[in-house]
Amino acid sequence: MSLYQEFKRGLWKENAVFRLLLGLCPTLAVTTSAENGLGMGLATTFVLVGSNIVVSLLRQLIPSKVRIPAFIVIIASFVTVVQLCMEAYFYDLYKALGIFIPLIVVNCVILGRAEAFASKNSLLPSMADGLGMGTGFTLALFVLGAVRELFGSGTLLGYAVFGSSYQPFLLLILPPGAFIAMGLLLAAMNRLDARRR
Amino acid sequence: MNGLPRLIITLTLITVGAGLLLSLVESMTRAPIAEQRRLETLRALQTVLPAFDNSPDADSVNLVAGHDKKGRELQRTFFRGRLDGAITGFAFTVVTPEGYSGNIGMMVGVDPDGRVVGLEILNHAETPGLGDKITRSEFKSQFKGKTLDGVDWRVKKDGGDFDQITGATISPRAVVKAVRQGLQFFHDHRAELLADGANQ
Repeated sequence: MSLYQEFKRGLWKENAVFRLLLGLCPTLAVTTSAENGLGMGLATTFVLVGSNIVVSLLRQLIPSKVRIPAFIVIIASFVTVVQLCMEAYFYDLYKALGIFIPLIVVNCVILGRAEAFASKNSLLPSMADGLGMGTGFTLALFVLGAVRELFGSGTLLGYAVFGSSYQPFLLLILPPGAFIAMGLLLAAMNRLDARRR
Repeated sequence: MNGLPRLIITLTLITVGAGLLLSLVESMTRAPIAEQRRLETLRALQTVLPAFDNSPDADSVNLVAGHDKKGRELQRTFFRGRLDGAITGFAFTVVTPEGYSGNIGMMVGVDPDGRVVGLEILNHAETPGLGDKITRSEFKSQFKGKTLDGVDWRVKKDGGDFDQITGATISPRAVVKAVRQGLQFFHDHRAELLADGANQ
């Protein structure tokens, strides 16, 4: 498979959130606004690409018996790097995402890609895979965040869209709204997919 | 080299590498992070204090506000705003655990007579769309000009003077109570704070 195909796979066909339904905990929790979704998605993408690169480079050296602890140490290091850099340079985003940044460690998309792809493939395909999966994850979080923000608070990326007479549909911002919005988006995507076949 | 030693050595090397990387990043980001936190305090000070021309974050007094369970002193910091050397106001932080979820941290600014100049919510985890309206200026501005005496420090639902938020009474109630307690503390130590300032 070409690098482009490795990249493209994560966008739609094997989209982590909408197709594989992986990493749903951070997805549902942080997507109260489009900006939060985007920030969380980019942070996850960085960790995903970084851990895929390192795991792929070290794949011959890591004995399979200790591969899981080794992967987790690598992933956790990248997460801490992201957390420190975000606190230093994107303080507002850091405050908004709060507790969910450390939790990127346990996002099963990342360990899943390290285990299923990077530990078996060479550097370039692993990078492409991490980038594709990360971009797909970011897109999914952005779309979900945008939908919830648009109807839940009447804004998009902080800008008022509907004017002051709009009564926000508060449920969408609250936790149950995350499940409902996610379900509706999944249904829409399945329908789209069925049409294309 | 196979078996157990190899497992141990590989894992050790990976963790040592991770440790080195992290200490490097930590040392690079330490200064910017401290600066971000300082800027955040300064931003809050600017909104709650009357006009000042000093740096209040460098001109502060610590007072003992009580003792925790182990008998250690709990300190409360007062930032002093000055214009031409004369004190124009004090700012202090209050934290309340009585919000709907988690602590609400806020900064209160008062003039030397104890009149509230401004209120800023520093951190909270209230429900988005409901309790988080305590960060809106309509809510915060009603504290402006209030004093400890002559004001009923309760939300209107409880018979007091402060507007609550439709659908969320717990968060405003917690904020009002915390601000009142902060003012009480300021009132009790006002002489001390002002006297300390006059020496400089």
